[in-house]
Amino acid sequence: MSIASDLIRGNTDTIILGHLLNGDSYGYKINKSILQKTDGLYELKEATLYSAFKRLEESGLISSYWGDEATGARRRYYTVTPAGRQAYFNMKTDWQNAKEIIDLLIEEDAGL
Amino acid sequence: MKEKLRIYIEALFQDAPLTQKAVELKEEILQNICDKYDDLLMQGKTEEAAYNIAIAGIGDISGLIADLGKRPGAVPQAPVYSRDEIEKEKKRSALFTIAAVALYILCLVPAILFDELFHSDLGIIITFLMVAAASALIIYNNMTKKSYKRTEDSVVEEFREWNAANAQKKQVFKSLSGALWAVVVVVYFLVSFTTFAWDRTWIIFLIGAAIEAVMKAVLDLTRTR
Repeated sequence: MSIASDLIRGNTDTIILGHLLNGDSYGYKINKSILQKTDGLYELKEATLYSAFKRLEESGLISSYWGDEATGARRRYYTVTPAGRQAYFNMKTDWQNAKEIIDLLIEEDAGL
Repeated sequence: MKEKLRIYIEALFQDAPLTQKAVELKEEILQNICDKYDDLLMQGKTEEAAYNIAIAGIGDISGLIADLGKRPGAVPQAPVYSRDEIEKEKKRSALFTIAAVALYILCLVPAILFDELFHSDLGIIITFLMVAAASALIIYNNMTKKSYKRTEDSVVEEFREWNAANAQKKQVFKSLSGALWAVVVVVYFLVSFTTFAWDRTWIIFLIGAAIEAVMKAVLDLTRTR
């Protein structure tokens, strides 16, 4: 998990927005899904996750509401706003561009 | 074990401000941790291991908690008065002071008048009533004075501004006061030597003190403009 966590952390917002595009979700569900997708390789710290929620909500990219579960567990759900949807696609494009450039630059024969 | 998780989270939020945001965040994180703990148990972890893994995954949330206190309106604040309210208050205070001083100055008039014209002691009573009224005004004014608080971000600037203006006014007051007392002393000796009414001329010093107080009040008034 520690291998690339610094590199991944820069994309936390994109990851969360991407998950929310599949439907409203809450903190643990998102984190669990990340853990499963990466086959247990990567997981967000609660601190990272909730800082991101706060930041995204303050910039109007997501909004939240309290769900009322029958089981008694009260969960705060997050939903992506139209602005958040737009931001997600911008971030994704940014990442893909950056990835291409980094791939080009770190090739061993890049300087030849 | 769930109770242990709750105690752990409570401890993390020990210094958090008592706001709805903080309570909600605490509840949210606690729920999250409990879900994780349950999942870990289902995966066959022992209670001890599940607790440790859940706690280790939280990370450093002190920054998140510290941010809770920074939001405007999150912490109950002392009442803040606007500039207009403060100016009004200052003017009101100065007017009270002027009225009180005027009463002090004039309080001897009825005593002297009644004594000279009617040879009556009624004037003394009126004098005492006027002194009482003037004192009451000053006390009331001080007791109802508000403690001034402006919005935090402008406090330093306001203070500098106020300090600069104040230093200037103080200088003016000092020089005026010096001149005043010189004049008072001269007038006292002049009047005393011409009338030889030494038993009464000491009043001139009282009048001098009164004029000084009025001067101060007037300066305070002009400052608010």
